[in-house]
Amino acid sequence: MTGPNRNLTLGSLRELGTVGLVAGLCGAYAAVLIMTSSILTTMSEASGGSVGLLLGIVAGVFILIALYVGTVVIVGAVDTVISGRLRHIALLRLLGSRGRELRTSVMRSTAAVGGMGAVAGIVLGTLLTHLVRMVLVARDTLPEAEYALGDVQLVVAFVAITLSAMIAGWFGSRGILRVSPAAALAGTAAYTPAPHRTSVIRALLAGIGIVGGLAVLLLGAVVGESNPGAGFLLAFVGAAGSGTGFLIGARFVIPRVVATLSSVLGRDPSSVVARRNALLDPLRTTRSTMGLVIGVALVTTFASGMSALRESITSWELDPAQRAQADQVYEVTTIILICIIVISAIIAAVGFVSTMSLTVIQRHREIGLLRSLGFTRRQVRSMITKESVALSASAVVFGAVLGIVYGTAGAQSLVGAETAGLVWGMPVGALVGIAVAGVVLVLVSSQRPARRAVAVSPVEALRIDA
Amino acid sequence: MSPMWRAAALGRLGTMTSTTFQHSPTQPVVSMRRVSKIYGEGTGRVAALDEIDVDIHRGGFTAIMGPSGSGKSTFMNVAAGLDDVTSGEVMLAGQPVTHLGDDARTLLRRSEVGFIFQAFNLVPTLSAHENILLPFELAGRRVSAEEGRWIEHLVGTLGLAERISHRPSELSGGQQQRVAIARALASRPAIIFADEPTGNLDSRSSREVLTLLRTAAREYGQTIAMVSHDPVAASYADRILVIADGHLVGDHGPLTPQEISDLLIGFEVGAA
Ligand SMILES: Nc1ncnc2c1ncn2[C@@H]1O[C@H](COP(=O)(O)OP(=O)(O)OP(=O)(O)O)[C@@H](O)[C@H]1O
Ligand SMILES: [Mg+2]
Repeated sequence: MTGPNRNLTLGSLRELGTVGLVAGLCGAYAAVLIMTSSILTTMSEASGGSVGLLLGIVAGVFILIALYVGTVVIVGAVDTVISGRLRHIALLRLLGSRGRELRTSVMRSTAAVGGMGAVAGIVLGTLLTHLVRMVLVARDTLPEAEYALGDVQLVVAFVAITLSAMIAGWFGSRGILRVSPAAALAGTAAYTPAPHRTSVIRALLAGIGIVGGLAVLLLGAVVGESNPGAGFLLAFVGAAGSGTGFLIGARFVIPRVVATLSSVLGRDPSSVVARRNALLDPLRTTRSTMGLVIGVALVTTFASGMSALRESITSWELDPAQRAQADQVYEVTTIILICIIVISAIIAAVGFVSTMSLTVIQRHREIGLLRSLGFTRRQVRSMITKESVALSASAVVFGAVLGIVYGTAGAQSLVGAETAGLVWGMPVGALVGIAVAGVVLVLVSSQRPARRAVAVSPVEALRIDA
Repeated sequence: MSPMWRAAALGRLGTMTSTTFQHSPTQPVVSMRRVSKIYGEGTGRVAALDEIDVDIHRGGFTAIMGPSGSGKSTFMNVAAGLDDVTSGEVMLAGQPVTHLGDDARTLLRRSEVGFIFQAFNLVPTLSAHENILLPFELAGRRVSAEEGRWIEHLVGTLGLAERISHRPSELSGGQQQRVAIARALASRPAIIFADEPTGNLDSRSSREVLTLLRTAAREYGQTIAMVSHDPVAASYADRILVIADGHLVGDHGPLTPQEISDLLIGFEVGAA
């Protein structure tokens, strides 16, 4: 019963588009990094160095980060699709489908779509890298050599992405288990989150991780004043600890951040409804924004760390030639690092845009009702935009704050001893860039859904079987 | 609390007058002239409304009846300015709905029209109380002390006092329906349109709701237009319109449930 069930559970392939797109982005990204490191390995073997191996390891770490964000985004996307079809699923349950079977079929679909996306992305990324390589060789920036066309690691990446999509399908479809068959007969057509059990253990672990980690991070920054090696180690442990704490406790932390920041939206009906929808389900709020928080935090950490390092270099006594060289090295390193790291923010943004679109489609009936009760088109539009602002602004601000703390502490622990006082990492340029990207994200994520919402006819709300 | 007592409680409030109804009281609240609504073209053409002429006067409680697919919901949508007509003119609370743009129509609905739908009446993210106050919020006006007392009475009469801070998902179908009724009555619109308002209610609550609607119409002149299939429900109205195949085929004064059943059987046989 997998064939028909899949469509019945997840609806059209369009609703799974996000899964394919995210898997494709991960694939393209992985392929670019893998092929670049393969090309550099070939190159350094030709000239007798070991840059490639190191790059391979670094690439592995970055690919894992992107995969993690991708998985979070896919979990969110699947969950959004499922929660929009709860009644439908309830009907399937009523007619005798078992929750497990439905979840397995969801998992198969996400694995299939994720796998297809991964293949497309990997092929595209590989071709792109070779294209750039050929251009660079032609311009004599890269030496002529026997560059491999592919790499076994590409297969590993494919397997990893497909597995991630599959796992994400399983976690994202947990909502199915909370559907009671009786819900098919109930009157509310709207999405209503089932109450989640708040796990004490989870809260405890998160608390320990966040508080303990931040304390160790602070200690690292202090120790860095006298002992850079020990300081950086402490800062790393602290960042890892508190980062893990935030990941575990995201569902406690992020909804609070969104609630606090969105309270500035205003008190008119469109703001109130927007805010309520943004906070309707803490888990959904968390999933749709967590990727963004991670992406922005990573970008800001690197930008902030690099700017702090740079600040401290400025205070060193160097002759002009050395200074110019040091400046250039940092400039180039910063840009490359940020380019590599920004992918997770992009993947997260794609996921966010698609979540916004889906939730608006799912709410067309509610929107029809609001229109018939007297919401003007403009109010409906502003409601959608405000919801997008509430979620994305919170994610961006929270991520940037985390990133500045991590970047500054990391830099301080590393070079604090050689610099007077605290090295502040305020990457103004990067922050402006992030703010602009945030505004663009709000516009992109709300434009289409808002247009769709405005087009909803008030009569829709009256139809019983819409 | 017995229905009789509730009706009495409402009666005491009946002296308050509607503040939103702007135009002259003798003018009809809804006036339709040669209104047609056509769906589709060629062989798929359906005239949901075919050259309808009708006036609904202030303070009346009108029931709209007819076989399934006869055009009752379309009638309501068009009269309330929710849907466009294919031809003809609709006046709603003194305004030419058919000539108004979307925004003007929305503002007109906001201030002059209350709705009770058969299902999915409430904004899911707002509590019952917030749903009731939504028309005031949308109009950007505060609830006066008098209106506050009126709302409190409605909530009490409808048996919602204990559920007032709940979200719609935590209410039964009937409770949701009653919240929608409270919302429609709270802001005293020029007219309330109700599509099967008792569809989700048991016979006792449905009697209470109908009594409440009739009292609202009789005691303080609330105009109500109600679509219903139920002859008992329609017997609470003081006027019964019958629609068949997009035509207005009957316009009666108050009738007993038995008389209404007999009336409809004729049409349903005729329609089949
Ligand atoms: N959007 C639409 N597109 C095409 N035809 C429609 C549409 N809406 C209604 N109709 C048709 O118009 C006619 C009247 O529909 P309407 O919903 O007004 O009936 P009704 O009297 O309310 O029926 P019921 O008692 O079953 O609710 C029906 O034949 C219906 O098929
Ligand atoms: Mg109908």
